[in-house]
Amino acid sequence: MTALVLKDVCKSFGAVDVLRNIDLTVEDGEFVVFVGPSGCGKSTLLRVIAGLEDATSGDVEIAGARVNAVPPAKRGIAMVFQSYALYPHLTVKENMALALKQEGTPRDVIAARVAEATRMLELGPYLDRRPADLSGGQRQRVAIGRAVVRQPKLFLFDEPLSNLDASLRMATRIEIAALHRSLSAAMIYVTHDQTEAMTLADKIVVLRDGRVEQIGSPMELYNNPANRFVAGFLGAPAMNFLDAATLGGPGGATLGIRPEHLRVTDAGRIKGTVAHVENLGGDTNIIVETGAGERVTVRVFGQYPCTVGRSAALDFDDADAFLFDAAGARLVAEPA
Amino acid sequence: MELRFFEIYRNPDYLWLLAEGAALSAGLTVTAGLTGLCLAILLATARFQNIPVLGHIAAGYVEFIRNTPLIVQLFFVAFGLPQLLGYSWPFWAHALLALTLNFSAYFSEILRAGFSTVAQGQFEAARALGMRPFLIFRKIVLPQAIARMFPSLSGQFVFLFLTTGVIAEIGVNDLTQAGKFIDSRTFRSFEVFLTLTMIYIAMSLTFKSALAVAHTRLYPGMTAR
Repeated sequence: MTALVLKDVCKSFGAVDVLRNIDLTVEDGEFVVFVGPSGCGKSTLLRVIAGLEDATSGDVEIAGARVNAVPPAKRGIAMVFQSYALYPHLTVKENMALALKQEGTPRDVIAARVAEATRMLELGPYLDRRPADLSGGQRQRVAIGRAVVRQPKLFLFDEPLSNLDASLRMATRIEIAALHRSLSAAMIYVTHDQTEAMTLADKIVVLRDGRVEQIGSPMELYNNPANRFVAGFLGAPAMNFLDAATLGGPGGATLGIRPEHLRVTDAGRIKGTVAHVENLGGDTNIIVETGAGERVTVRVFGQYPCTVGRSAALDFDDADAFLFDAAGARLVAEPA
Repeated sequence: MELRFFEIYRNPDYLWLLAEGAALSAGLTVTAGLTGLCLAILLATARFQNIPVLGHIAAGYVEFIRNTPLIVQLFFVAFGLPQLLGYSWPFWAHALLALTLNFSAYFSEILRAGFSTVAQGQFEAARALGMRPFLIFRKIVLPQAIARMFPSLSGQFVFLFLTTGVIAEIGVNDLTQAGKFIDSRTFRSFEVFLTLTMIYIAMSLTFKSALAVAHTRLYPGMTAR
């Protein structure tokens, strides 16, 4: 069954078009990530799905029913916010149980669901604490628990990990992936962090300026980006873009090559000087400045001794390169 | 000048009068405080939610109360309204009504400020988790507003308690009235009003302490530490 269908959804705030003709289908059990830079409309799209904003035009269907005029309370969704939005005057247990109580859910059902969410999210020791007594990661787990107990048709996550530090972000990311596997519910997750998008998603929706740039699995988007924006947005370090004409390509085109597809050789096509070296332990990022003033990042696996200021030559396999026209569209036909 | 406090504390009638007056002042303040708070919640809600007509009525009412002296409100309630509507209540009931109306206007403004401190995300989270507007207000917004504004509400409560001395003007036998009566009998003004001052201070501090404990007990997660 289809969990969500968006048909030609548009949203404007006054004269400003924030979402333009969004079409999307999310199947049951699918993990879909909306990704894009700040201001691209990804959170607004999530809010339109939640019912916190009305679509200016188009249809929003959840579990087969059109819900444009249905309030959030009746959409069968549960949302987790970046700010957690926990109720500070209630304990962890009360935070999780409140929405169920007001729906008139029987006490034993509430107790069972809270117990299940508590077990799943390892919140046992904190049930009688209030949000002020919890760490950021614990608060986010409570916010997730509050959504889980409702057993919604659709989970919505609005940048849930943005307020956490790097290590906690990774741990919570793994927890969310595990949660998705155990619940098998459809989840929509908004982030500007492409690592989260790549690691969590079954399907990524890349947004820019309120439009969908491309939809596909993480590897589809990574290996076969539709345009320069998608190619540059996914991947860390980001794809290098060079003037294709200087490398034997067509004039006016841009050549894109990922840092891991470049290699340092004695006689490469890209020549320059090492401007900076990032030793990450497991990898080394070497930033080379070419004669044309372009900065090219090379990702070398393992530790690579390299000094700033030395000259370097880089090369790549043509099969790994992407060509984009002046407007950013892919020039080379997609592989069959 | 020779101080003759014993003229007060050796006379059981005077002590009883003071005790009765203190009990009446405290009782009226607490009752008016609680009923005023209930009325204030309605007033603040009407204004905060911009309820048509009611919001404007609430705004007008609050401005009317906050821009007139308590003693004028007291005379209006005790003498003006009974004349207009033809009813007769005991003095303490008039005082209770006047204090309730007065408390409600000040409390409502504090609560309204409290409502606006509740983050938009709290409303949205509740909506996105299936809660309906009335319940969001009752379960999420109101408790947080009261918890955050509890120190201000407590301060206003104690301040209004101290202004209750004016109800003696309509003949209510409160603490101030008891002091005035004892003074008129003993002519020991310094001793009488110093005693009255000390009783008021003790009662204010008791109210403050009790309210601080109540704040900690009622809202353990929202008390500044």
